[in-house]
Amino acid sequence: MPLNTEQKTTTANALETQGIGKRFGGFWAVKDVSFSVKPGERRAILGPNGAGKTSLFNILTGDYVASSGAISLFGEDVTKQSIPKRIKRGLRRTYQHAYLFDGLSVCDTLFLAVAGVRGGWRQVLPVRSNDPRREEAERLADVCGLASFLDRMVLELSHGQRRQLEIGIALAEDPKVLLLDEPAAGLSPAERPLLSKLLLSLPADITVILIEHDMDIAFQTSESVTVLFNGQLMAEGTPEEVMADKDVHQIYVGGAHGH
Amino acid sequence: MRYFLVLIPLALLPLLLNDFWVSQVLTRALILGVIALSLSFLATYLGVVSFAQVTLAGVAGYAVAYFGPNTVGLGFPLPLYVSLPIALLLSMAAGALIGLVARRSRGIYAIMITLAIGVAFFYFTRQNYALFNGFTGFSGVIAPKMGEGNWGDPMPLYFLALGVSVICVVLVNGFVRSPLGLAVQAVRDAPGRLLALGIPTTYPIVAAFAFSGLIAGSGGILNVWFQERVSSFSVGIGPIIDVLIISVIGGLRHPTGAFVGAIVYVMLDIFAIDLIDRDRFNLLIGIVLLAIVMAAPNGLHQLAIDWVGKLRGRAEQPRTN
Ligand SMILES: Nc1ncnc2c1ncn2[C@@H]1O[C@H](COP(=O)(O)OP(=O)(O)O)[C@@H](O)[C@H]1O
Ligand SMILES: [Mg+2]
Repeated sequence: MPLNTEQKTTTANALETQGIGKRFGGFWAVKDVSFSVKPGERRAILGPNGAGKTSLFNILTGDYVASSGAISLFGEDVTKQSIPKRIKRGLRRTYQHAYLFDGLSVCDTLFLAVAGVRGGWRQVLPVRSNDPRREEAERLADVCGLASFLDRMVLELSHGQRRQLEIGIALAEDPKVLLLDEPAAGLSPAERPLLSKLLLSLPADITVILIEHDMDIAFQTSESVTVLFNGQLMAEGTPEEVMADKDVHQIYVGGAHGH
Repeated sequence: MRYFLVLIPLALLPLLLNDFWVSQVLTRALILGVIALSLSFLATYLGVVSFAQVTLAGVAGYAVAYFGPNTVGLGFPLPLYVSLPIALLLSMAAGALIGLVARRSRGIYAIMITLAIGVAFFYFTRQNYALFNGFTGFSGVIAPKMGEGNWGDPMPLYFLALGVSVICVVLVNGFVRSPLGLAVQAVRDAPGRLLALGIPTTYPIVAAFAFSGLIAGSGGILNVWFQERVSSFSVGIGPIIDVLIISVIGGLRHPTGAFVGAIVYVMLDIFAIDLIDRDRFNLLIGIVLLAIVMAAPNGLHQLAIDWVGKLRGRAEQPRTN
C-alpha cells in the first residue's frame, strides 16, 4: 500500500479536472472543462473577458462549489474539500481585483498568510519580533519586493505594490500550485517587467497557472497555454500551437479581445 | 509608553479633590470609560457597532450581586476569588454567544441584532425574580473589605477603577497585536480574503465579542460596587445610549478615546443639571453630540491628537529655521 500511494503521488498531475463546471441560474460560467497540469509546469490561461477564467480559479480553490465534475490535486480528490484544506495541500491563489486588509500593515498581512497555513492564529499574546512566522513574513516581503514597506499600511500601498503583496501572500508556506489571476492587470508599463522577473524567479518546482491578458508576460513565463471561450475549453498546447489555432486567432484578432 | 504619562496626573488628582469629584466625576467616568472601551474595541477592530455592551456589563454585575453580599436575600454567596472569575466568565460567555448570533451581520443589521438582545435582556431582568429579583434587582451589593473601610470607599474605588482601566487598555493593545487580534482586524477589512488564507471568520468574531465581554464585565463589576446595586435600570435603553454616546464623543478611531468621551459626558451630566432641568439634558447631550460629530468626525480624542500634532509642528518649526 505505502509503495502504491508513493508511486501515485510522484506520477500524478499537480492539478487535474474532469468535466468541471459552474452554473449560475441557467447560465454556465464554466462548462465541462477537463485539463491537467504537470508538476512544475507553467501554464497560461487565455480568453476574452467573461470567458470564465476567474470562475475556473474559484472552482479550483473552493471559493465556488463546482456544479459538476471533479478536481484532483496531486492525485487526491479535493472536489469536496474546504478552502483551508486545499490551502494545506499547497494550493494558493491571487485575486484579480486586489482584495486585501487595508487596515493591516504589510508585515501583519503576510504574518496572517503564514499563520493561516502554519497555524497558531488563535494565539492571544502579542506577536514577538523573533516569532518564526514573523521572520517568514519578512522573508516573503523580501521575495515580493516589499522589504522596505514592512510597516506600511496596505491602504497606503500603490496599485503595483498591492499586486506584489498578493503574490507574497500566495507564496506563504511552501506553495505547490499557484493560481495567479491577472497579476499584471493595471500595472504601468514600467512595472510589468518587474512582475515578469518575479514570476520567472519562482522556484522551478512550483506549478504556476497564470491568467494573463498581456501576451508578452504570458508567453515569456509559460510553456503551455489553455484557451477558454464562453466557459468552455477552446484550445490547448504550446504558445505556438495555440496561436496557430484558427478559432483562437478568430477571437483574438476578430475583436473579442480586450479588458 | 506616552500614554503612561497620563497616569501621573490621574494618580495625583484625587489628592487635590474632594470626595464628590473623586467619586461622582472621576470614578464614574473611568467605569463608564471601561464599558465604552469594550464598544470602541469592537467598533474599531472588528468594525461592528454593538448595542449589547451594557448588557454584558450587566451580566457580570448581576453575577457579582447574586454570588456576593446583597440585602435582598437572594443568591448564593461565594468567596470573591470564586465569584469574580465566575462573573467575568459569564460576561465573556454571553459575549461569545452574542458574537455567534451576530457573526454574519454588519452595519445596521449588527446594530439591530445587538439592540434586540440588549432590550430582551432588559425585559428579562424585570420579569425574572428567581435570578434577577425582577424590577427592583439587587441592593446592598457592597465592595469587598479593605482594612478599616472597603474597596467601595471613594479613594480605594477610584484607584481600583484606575487600575482596571489601565489593565483593560493594556489588554486591548496587546490583543490587537496578537495573531488572533490581527485576524479580527482582517475580518473587519475583508472576511472572504481571510477565509482564503485558511482562517475561518467565525472564531475571530466570537473571540472578539468574548474579549469585549471581559472588558465590559470588568466595568460592570466596578459599576455595581460603585452604585452598590444593580437592577433592570442598569441594563436599560438609557445606559445603552449613554455608552454609545460616550464612544462616539471619544471617537471610534482609537479605543482609549472612550475615556475622553466618558469624562466629557460625566461633566456635562453633572454640571448641565444645575443649569437646565433633567428633561432638557437629553437635548443638550444631543446638541453636543451633533457638534462633536460635525467638528471632529473621528471623535474628541483624535481631534486632540491632531491639535497636539499641529502645536508640535508649530513649536518645532522655529527651531529648525
Ligand atoms: N458569482 C457570480 N454570479 C453570477 N454570475 C457570475 C458570477 N461569477 C461570474 N459570473 C459570470 O460568469 C462569467 C464568467 O466570469 P469570469 O469567470 O469572471 O470571467 P473572466 O475571468 O474570464 O473574465 C461572466 O459572464 C460573469 O458575469
Ligand atoms: Mg477574471
